[in-house]
Amino acid sequence: MKKKLWNNQHLYICVIATLLAFLTSILVGKYPITPAALMAGDQMAIRVFLTLRLPRALIGLLGGFGLGIAGFVYQTVFRNPLAAPDIIGVSSGASVGAAFSILFISQTVLPVTLCSFLGGLTAVCLALILSSIAPGKKQETLVLAGIVVHSLAQTLLMFLKLMADPEKELASIEYWIMGSLGSVTLSRIPWNMILICLTTFCLLLLYRQILLLSVEEEEAKTLGVPTGQLRILVLLLSTLQVASIISITGLISFVGLLAPHIARLLTKRNRKSTFLLSGFLGAFLLLIADILAKGIATTELPVSIFTSLLGAPFLVYLIVSGRRQK
Amino acid sequence: MEENRLILSHVNIPLEEIDFLQDISFTIEENSMTAILGANGCGKTTLLRAICNQIPFTGQCEWNNISLQNCSARELSRLLSYIPQRSGITISMSVLDVVLMGFNPVLKLLETPSKLQKEAASKALSMVGLTDFISRDYLTLSEGEKQLCILARTLVTHTKLWLLDEPDSSLDFHNRYHMLSLIKQMMHQSDACALLCLHDPGLALNFCDQLILLKEHHVAAILHPRTDPLPLMEKSLSAIYGSVTLKQITDNKRNVHLVLLSEQLP
Repeated sequence: MKKKLWNNQHLYICVIATLLAFLTSILVGKYPITPAALMAGDQMAIRVFLTLRLPRALIGLLGGFGLGIAGFVYQTVFRNPLAAPDIIGVSSGASVGAAFSILFISQTVLPVTLCSFLGGLTAVCLALILSSIAPGKKQETLVLAGIVVHSLAQTLLMFLKLMADPEKELASIEYWIMGSLGSVTLSRIPWNMILICLTTFCLLLLYRQILLLSVEEEEAKTLGVPTGQLRILVLLLSTLQVASIISITGLISFVGLLAPHIARLLTKRNRKSTFLLSGFLGAFLLLIADILAKGIATTELPVSIFTSLLGAPFLVYLIVSGRRQK
Repeated sequence: MEENRLILSHVNIPLEEIDFLQDISFTIEENSMTAILGANGCGKTTLLRAICNQIPFTGQCEWNNISLQNCSARELSRLLSYIPQRSGITISMSVLDVVLMGFNPVLKLLETPSKLQKEAASKALSMVGLTDFISRDYLTLSEGEKQLCILARTLVTHTKLWLLDEPDSSLDFHNRYHMLSLIKQMMHQSDACALLCLHDPGLALNFCDQLILLKEHHVAAILHPRTDPLPLMEKSLSAIYGSVTLKQITDNKRNVHLVLLSEQLP
């Protein structure tokens, strides 16, 4: 019983830490906001709070949560501790979409969001189609197909960058790839937020099935798991989730990879609370990274710098200390 | 109630462009255990995998007049349980979660196991002697404990046909007998039948009602250890294992055992 309590304690601590980070994120920024000013009805403070700070902190919270959950799902379904949204090409697909929009449509927020969303989904569908054509083991072919799509997308991205005007367009593309929560405003986020919440909810419901997908193909089939359809469903859901996050924020590295690992290191096993913990750790990581990104310098810094800065040493630690399993 | 019976007739299994197994025909009656014996690589596992629809084959494979070839994965999972040589669980999860997977065939997509099912799972774990391991990480178990855990998962399924691929390969002397007795007991309790691949013909002779001997892509012989005369069985077993001697021995509790001795001693 005591052990059970301790397991959940990680979750509680992490939820509280995430909430604190969320509140801090609302207060930190160029325009100073204090709770007192909000209470006093300072019009400017309220406007900044509603249109900028709150949406940004919400995306930090939900986006980080979604990336953590998606990372957990990818690692479980692919039975690979290094699996991440990149593995089936969603990130690079989204980058191509964003670059395409910046070059040929518009640099404004809405088209870029939409195009990167479509780009990510297209890449994943392509990977799924490629792997379904091939006979034999689905697991390995899906990873291979993902790598093919990923490198294809990288090549396309390179072409687009070559065509871009170095002064303006190339800079926007690069900035998008580095990722930032800086351009989040109230008007941009409702649809994506709904999508993120919906997909997260579905994935939580499907937790038992996701665990079953981690079992080898043949064994899962004899347990009555329709592996083919289920894998596509789960991957589409998690990809939809990732695409709806990074289409607003640009690429955010490491959150999806790290959060599940930390969660598993803390709880030492896979269970539903580990799954949730992974989401909260992702939210915490992204919120902290975003607070640093907007607070540390006078100009806005890309958030990926900080997720990587926090993440890379940890990954090195994981590699050096030898993966915990066995 | 109709009888539970598995009938294979004229099954051919192609593998890498040859008919790896040819003209396999046999029947498994309810309440019985059947062992597939044969040298390494003779197709024991292949035969099991064909029956549970994982590799294509020609011919008939019927369970209670249902052709297993036409069943979906979910339908199949309600009819039969398959224990592979090694379970393909590769990420850490608790032993209880592994056993609860056995309920998947009867659960809806979004349903989670009920309290009753959890109790059944822990009861199954106590039957195989893993009560203390219930919240342990499956990946940290020894190979033998893993096999017992997978057996517990099969116990909760209540399917009537069990296909077991060397379920005892990592078990010690005691657990080997315990597992086979448990399977036998389950078969009698629930009118089910089991088809096992075994490496040890001695175990098969004492626990199984029927032995199917595979050699050179064919069924070389079908033996019934309870009724067949010793010299006949000895001859058939010699054909696959090299010259062997089959003896009847009585233990201290007056149980009669069949003992197979290889004549290849230095």
